[in-house]
Amino acid sequence: MMPTLTLALKDLRLLLRDSRSAVILLVMPLLLILILGLSIGSLFEQKPDDRIRVSVVNLDAGLSESHTGFPPKPWSQMVLDDLTNTGNVRVELIPTREEAERLIRKGDRAAVVVFEPQFSDFVQRCSFVGEPFTHDPINPLYRDGILTREIGVTILRNPSQLVAYSVINQVVQVTLMRVVIPWMIGRAFEMIGTPPFMDRMEQYIPALKGAYLIISKQTIGEGIQKGIGGFFSKYDFTGKTWAKLTKSEEPPAIAENRSAYEAPDGSVRLNRGAMRYQVLVPAYTVTFAFFLVLTVGWLFVAERRHGTLIRLRAAPLTRWQILLGKLLPCLAVSLAQGFLLLLCGNLIFGMSFGPAPWLLLPVVVCTSCAAVGLAMLVAGMARTETQVAVYGTLLVLMLAGLSGSMMPRDLMPETMRQISRVTPHAWALEAYGQLLPPPAEPGQPPAPPPDTVDVLRDCGVLAGFGAVFLGLAWWRMRLD
Amino acid sequence: MNQPILAISDVRKQYGRAPALNGVSLDVQAGELFGLLGPNGAGKTTLMSILAGLLDATSGTVTLFGQPLSQQARSLRQSIGIATQDLALYPELTARENLTFFGRLYGLAGEPLRHRVEELLAGVGLTERGDDRAGTFSGGMKRRLNLAIAVIHRPKLLLLDEPTTGVDPQSRNHIFEQVRSLNAAGMTMIYTSHYMEEVQALCPRIAIMDQGRMLACDTLPNLLRRLESVLHLQFDTPPETLRARLAELPGVTGCTIQGQRVELTTPNAAPLLPRIATVCAELAQMPTTMELQQPTLERVFLHLTGHDLRD
Repeated sequence: MMPTLTLALKDLRLLLRDSRSAVILLVMPLLLILILGLSIGSLFEQKPDDRIRVSVVNLDAGLSESHTGFPPKPWSQMVLDDLTNTGNVRVELIPTREEAERLIRKGDRAAVVVFEPQFSDFVQRCSFVGEPFTHDPINPLYRDGILTREIGVTILRNPSQLVAYSVINQVVQVTLMRVVIPWMIGRAFEMIGTPPFMDRMEQYIPALKGAYLIISKQTIGEGIQKGIGGFFSKYDFTGKTWAKLTKSEEPPAIAENRSAYEAPDGSVRLNRGAMRYQVLVPAYTVTFAFFLVLTVGWLFVAERRHGTLIRLRAAPLTRWQILLGKLLPCLAVSLAQGFLLLLCGNLIFGMSFGPAPWLLLPVVVCTSCAAVGLAMLVAGMARTETQVAVYGTLLVLMLAGLSGSMMPRDLMPETMRQISRVTPHAWALEAYGQLLPPPAEPGQPPAPPPDTVDVLRDCGVLAGFGAVFLGLAWWRMRLD
Repeated sequence: MNQPILAISDVRKQYGRAPALNGVSLDVQAGELFGLLGPNGAGKTTLMSILAGLLDATSGTVTLFGQPLSQQARSLRQSIGIATQDLALYPELTARENLTFFGRLYGLAGEPLRHRVEELLAGVGLTERGDDRAGTFSGGMKRRLNLAIAVIHRPKLLLLDEPTTGVDPQSRNHIFEQVRSLNAAGMTMIYTSHYMEEVQALCPRIAIMDQGRMLACDTLPNLLRRLESVLHLQFDTPPETLRARLAELPGVTGCTIQGQRVELTTPNAAPLLPRIATVCAELAQMPTTMELQQPTLERVFLHLTGHDLRD
């Protein structure tokens, strides 16, 4: 064991004196985390979102102060509620028309719906019935749906994104019809049987006046209304909302479907403790763990180049002792790298160690095992520094790309996530994903504790990768 | 004569179809400084690799201290030191660290190791530079350190494979001194080189190799004795009877005249010179120039192989 330790300590000393390795293994990942955190860090905080985003500027002045009855809130809120409660639609509220116009101009939004100040007033006046039953009525209906300009709705559009605009327009049309039409029906139905209605009916059926001698005008009016209502028994014409009109349940409110517009942060700030670091730090810890391939490869190549491998072979050492003496310092460096990067992640970037920090230990250890195994395999096959640099770098970058450690893994399609499991990186990232959840939003419950069984399974797979790589390295390694 | 500690018998080594060694046999005595002379590609390094346990012979046997030597015979490696043709040291480590590291690999530790390291640094003249990284050394200094590393564990057999390649005269002398000193202390050595003057200066017994074969193995005088001295005499007008008078001198084995130039061959030139002087005086024709070519290893090599050593 003594010669192995002697060899290991010598290699450790060489590694510690190798500034190139220190740069690759420690400085580079920290720099990348810093740069990515400052530049596109918000990308790492996004979750995949397949919902249609409907951007809205609400300038609606609401209903008059004297208004009572239906609707209980401004019509713009009625429309926003309907939109928000629609599945797969996300409502984004933009504060000003100027901001909306700027986003349209820049092409950041295909369309923005603007509720003009008179919106509630206009909708309130929507009616199937004209004068004298309704004062100054508005008929918003036309061939294709709701004529938005009639009710004070403007849809800003970017001419270069017409398809997206059309989709948003259709979504808005459906919602407007669901809000406006029940209101108009209910309003009209309320008028059926009323004295003005009966007076108008007398113009078409003069005999009605004679009937009043037998049945009162009010009774006939109420009967007509009830009769029509009964004829359309599947509908409630008095409902005024789509759910009531169709006698359906009100859709559940989906609060997360509505959010305020967040302008991209143009400032360059570290944002310590931001969610991005819960992704960036483990991602680059894992990616750069495998850059050990270069360091170990160079160590082996240097041993050949300096002729010292011949001395080692001429010494009373077994092949096993030589390889173990090489492996141990590499493992030590890899472990130190893993723990240091996580520690720096915590100290510099404010990354949280999550609810079960002790579980990080096996993840770091098993990731190092896999990285050292791969590094020994590459070292056993490469013969020159150039081979190590070219093949090693290509291999590491390819594995990192495939595993999703260079991008938010959550954004990967499911199929790619499954494929990525052929890389050890993916298993390490899965484990870190459980152990380093994003910090809880104010008012939101904290992330659930990690599934220990899942994490240990990931560690087991990583150790398995390491064992297979080391087996192959032992088989392929030629010391002569 | 000491007992042979190393016996090589009919050793052959093939790399694919190419034979690197073709039936080499020789014995090396304890305490001997044995020279292995041959051009590049003669098979010297292959033979040294087999002796160091780095390679196994394709056939034949090698025994060291009576035990078969092979890649698996690790216990024997403690008795072998090797200074390879190419430098074998860590340029990022200091001279002291290099020596300490290799000393530990051979089981040295503590005060004995420290003492041995200082002793060797002093021996190769590197005490002052002991804490400098080997990578900053000149070629000669690296060679000296390379030699010190090879003997850190006091091997009984030291293999020196072209130990002076690319060194300055000062370092070469240092290495020679160190080699002589180690040999005087009882260390058996095999010294390979394609520099004949080195082998001639250091090694009492020499083997000459070429193309994987052992062409000759003997003491230096015996090797030289295989060739005769050649004496060239230049005359203004060689007399008619000169050739006959010289040819009949005792010790002359051949005499030819080409124009003004006379060539005599003899196994021993020293007693012949006064006799030649007498003949010339009697003929009243003294040579204008006289040149004596003694047998050298180079001429022996040329004689044995038909080509020059540095071809």
